[in-house]
Amino acid sequence: MIASVDFKNFKALRATALQLAPFNLIIGANGSGKTSLIQAVERLHALARLPLATPGPARRAGGPRISFRFNSPFAAVEARLECVSEASCDLLQIRPAHAPEWPALQAQLGRIRSYQLDYGAMTAPAAPGASPDAPLSPSGANLAAVLAAWRDRHPAEFAALVAEVLRVLPEYSGLELVRGPAGIVTLGLRLGPGGDLVTADNLSQGTLALLAILALAHDPAPPAVLCIEEIDRGVHPRRLREVRDAFYRLSHPSASGLKRPAVQVIATTHSPYLLDLFRDHPEEIVIAQKQGRAARFERLADRADLAELLSEGSLGDMWYSGILGGVPDES
Amino acid sequence: MKVALLSESPADEAVLRELVAAVLGGSPAWSAAGLRARGWPSVVQVLPAVIRHLHFNTDTDTLVVTADADDSVVHTAAHEAPGYFHPQCRLCQLRAVFRRTTRKLPPARGRNRVLRGVGVAVPALEAWLLCGRDATVGESAWIEGQSAGRAPYTRAELKWRVYGTDRPSLPYEIRRAVEEIRRHGRDTRRLEHDFPGFGVLARDLREDQAMLHGHPP
Repeated sequence: MIASVDFKNFKALRATALQLAPFNLIIGANGSGKTSLIQAVERLHALARLPLATPGPARRAGGPRISFRFNSPFAAVEARLECVSEASCDLLQIRPAHAPEWPALQAQLGRIRSYQLDYGAMTAPAAPGASPDAPLSPSGANLAAVLAAWRDRHPAEFAALVAEVLRVLPEYSGLELVRGPAGIVTLGLRLGPGGDLVTADNLSQGTLALLAILALAHDPAPPAVLCIEEIDRGVHPRRLREVRDAFYRLSHPSASGLKRPAVQVIATTHSPYLLDLFRDHPEEIVIAQKQGRAARFERLADRADLAELLSEGSLGDMWYSGILGGVPDES
Repeated sequence: MKVALLSESPADEAVLRELVAAVLGGSPAWSAAGLRARGWPSVVQVLPAVIRHLHFNTDTDTLVVTADADDSVVHTAAHEAPGYFHPQCRLCQLRAVFRRTTRKLPPARGRNRVLRGVGVAVPALEAWLLCGRDATVGESAWIEGQSAGRAPYTRAELKWRVYGTDRPSLPYEIRRAVEEIRRHGRDTRRLEHDFPGFGVLARDLREDQAMLHGHPP
């Protein structure tokens, strides 16, 4: 949905642009702008829900500015965020000012979701949301309540999710959601047939991460754009293929035999093992390159010597070596 | 006969299990399921440690290793000459690692060494899966393409031909791969003919089986 983002003076992103694909995996050193990209998308989402504002007189010339362009049918529209400081972008303007596509685009921007899964939050029993259609919250804290709602309202999708969870985590035989007083839901996985129920607070971080990621992939009402940080966190390297496939289910639904619109995915990672899995799709890898205090984005597929590099080693090893850039400055 | 597999993914392992069983005329005992390498050159890096581990810590008879050739030099009959080693041929490299590693090992668990089953899929395992179904896919076509400087197909195209997508989910990839390889049943002659990189693996396995039955080649 988002075709490109153009940054000027926004945190480390002083002057860089990025064309976005249906799936985007952002790699790079700490502080190289990966999170800033997601923050910009989050800000677009937040401001698009408000009435469009007109600029006040206090805008600083040369101040932070972020410009978004969109894919068809919104290709004629530019959405521009202007900021009073690097930390506060509070003005959204669109060009042309009265673009007829804006209401439809605005609705799509309202369907952006951003995640930074918090395993501590996910272990707690979850109160039911104000709406039974509430999506998974940014931290995943309401995972149990969301799954309980899907079980009741979207049984087919819930059954597919459970089947996928049990395939990926074969040591378990069932996913159980126990409602307590006041509708509080506790999540658990049953260890083998007739085995113990392992409640969320006793599940490993990686297991909870996989549960949340698979839930996102099987969401009956997926977002238009999904941003998520550190998609590898806590997951065993051999399970990362499942993580990649879960997000491909969103970004390339037809590859999974699904007939629904694609979800644009913007994800970050620090895992060379995950990067290895994108050997056949280097166009999906974005390297955040930081030099001094300024960072810029590069598409891995733009490297002229990529084929040669791939013949000599894995993408993860190449990244770690520093050949691809996107590594910390250790000097 | 107890066989261990070193492969790049669960899908590759599922295919190798089928192929090993086909060549040996029945499923062998499997050892240490799920040994993995992260593609080339990781397989060469981990192979010595894997061989030593299997030799000292398990009763594995044979280790089967495969790699994708990608754009490397394809193993040919000329490479089979005694003492020949092509440094850009992945099969030659894998065999050399086996030789170097096993040469230094003392006997353990009643055997002198773990036996070898080495194959290279040209250019990728999906080509083996298309054998007998897509006449344009074969090692000779790939070698001709290399000589002409124009590959007859890419890895991505092979994936499309097998899976109908270049982003198959893992369970779908395994299901399709096993479906395709099972077309050959127990008869791997066509695969051995069209893909000598598999043929040498089949030959290794038969020799290993004969040796274990007291009939060294």
